[in-house]
Amino acid sequence: MKKKSIRKKKGIDWMSIIPPWILLAIIFAVWEIAAKTTGISEYILPPMSKIIHGVITKFPGELLPHFLLTVRVIVLGFIFATILGISLAAIFSQFNIITKAVTPVIIWLVITPMITLIPLMTLWLGYDPVLRTYVVILQATPIIALNTLNGFVNVDNDKVELAKSVGCTRMQRFTKIVFMNAMPQVFTGIKLGSIFSTIAALSADIVSGNAGLGFKISQFTKYNNVYMSYGTIFLVGLIGLTLYKIIERIERRVVLWKN
Amino acid sequence: MEELVQKEVQTIPKIVFENINKVFHTRKQTIVAVKDYDMQVDQGDFVSIIGPSGCGKSTLIRMLNGIIQPTSGRMLLDGIPLDTSKPYSQETLRKMGFIFQQPNMLPWYTIRQNITLPLKIFGLDTPEYQEYADELISVTGLQKFADSYPIEASGGALQRAGVVRAMVHKPEILLMDEPFGALDEMLREQLNMELLSIWKRLNITIIFITHNVEEAVLLSNSIYVMATEPGRLVEKVDIDLPRPRSLEMITQPRFVSYTQRLVDLIGSVELRQIK
Ligand SMILES: Nc1ncnc2c1ncn2[C@@H]1O[C@H](COP(=O)(O)OP(=O)(O)O)[C@@H](O)[C@H]1O
Ligand SMILES: [Mg+2]
Repeated sequence: MKKKSIRKKKGIDWMSIIPPWILLAIIFAVWEIAAKTTGISEYILPPMSKIIHGVITKFPGELLPHFLLTVRVIVLGFIFATILGISLAAIFSQFNIITKAVTPVIIWLVITPMITLIPLMTLWLGYDPVLRTYVVILQATPIIALNTLNGFVNVDNDKVELAKSVGCTRMQRFTKIVFMNAMPQVFTGIKLGSIFSTIAALSADIVSGNAGLGFKISQFTKYNNVYMSYGTIFLVGLIGLTLYKIIERIERRVVLWKN
Repeated sequence: MEELVQKEVQTIPKIVFENINKVFHTRKQTIVAVKDYDMQVDQGDFVSIIGPSGCGKSTLIRMLNGIIQPTSGRMLLDGIPLDTSKPYSQETLRKMGFIFQQPNMLPWYTIRQNITLPLKIFGLDTPEYQEYADELISVTGLQKFADSYPIEASGGALQRAGVVRAMVHKPEILLMDEPFGALDEMLREQLNMELLSIWKRLNITIIFITHNVEEAVLLSNSIYVMATEPGRLVEKVDIDLPRPRSLEMITQPRFVSYTQRLVDLIGSVELRQIK
């Protein structure tokens, strides 16, 4: 196989790993000290140690099924949204008029909070956790499509001319030039899509009730388990962050030509 | 002498421009980029087109290569009129290799992948052509960059890669749009001499665009001088200097008189425009 010299140069980049952990430690420490010294009520500011301890002890029993449900909704919805978003953008970008026509519609869909559709969707589809996956797909697809479409339509004229000069077919031009050229924007879309997916899944949990981490957060709050509310919120953040980081990793492996 | 013999054997010109016009319509204005342009280039010829920026040099060879379409007029390749109403056939495009003003490498491919791109598009991805690509890569000293991405290579290496990419499918014609204009003089001279030796060895036809008078005289059999507004041919100057050419010739009286004549031509053209 051909050696990829750029990849070889990349070792572990400590400079991008250590500082966030230090910052996180500082935030946790300040939080802990503030909670213990300022006398603010534990219902508003529970100590960080209690939050973390609470989540860890309740995770295997109480939280795990909800965690699994929400993660499944996020991941499934996100994967479908990615496939759908990129495919739609690929189709739209083939025709200038369609691109122009759909762009405002896509932006409109990006802005619309899809959880508002849950009561309606419940009417149509009945009660089913799968519904939440649809919500995630609806929420994440437009932002992925929007960024991808932007990438697909903004190709350097030079590169289009190169394609003409060697007589690329439409398909060759798309796969070898347009798609590759858009790769950074495609990944921006996918990363935003992962964030939208996480937010949408959580909101859907809260609106639908009865299961999922979002549901647990509202339950904990309702019964004054404030430290567990915080803990579960952090857990959700962790899911989103992990997903984002995984995508970033993939991006770095794929988009080798950018630094 | 050599040229005379060639002309007898090959009576059909390799490339013909007949009364070619190109008009660009932008929102604000109409630009006559090329007006009534005529040119005949024989097989194996080395022709330069020279003139101030914006006189339509790039437009000319881009039309020939099918990147853009002429507004009117005819272009013939090997005596056959090109049908500019639709994209050229692969058979036609394969006869030409286009070298852009900037390297125009695709950043997501390694240098080798960039160089062999035409082979993939033209359906020539055979061991034979791959071997030829390797040969070109080593002749041009690109081995050490072959598996690097364009961002990792120097400007000179990239420009060479652009030349190699245009040659990899063994075209009969090279169209070069100020190929070494962005490089420093030393490197440009070196690449020009390399180009001459390639041209001689492969017996290809070259249309070379430049705004450097010395470069044009050094390389060409004939030089087409153009002017702007509208972009048009002013004069064709045949360069009757012996071959092989070398850099030392630049200071010889005959060379100097050619460059002087061209500078005068271009200068007077520009003066006329100022009035
Ligand atoms: N795609 C285009 N649209 C509008 N005008 C163009 C386009 N391409 C070239 N032109 C105009 O045509 C003229 C000739 O351009 P060009 O052939 O690039 O000149 P040169 O290569 O001699 O510098 C210039 O005035 C340029 O602005
Ligand atoms: Mg030009």
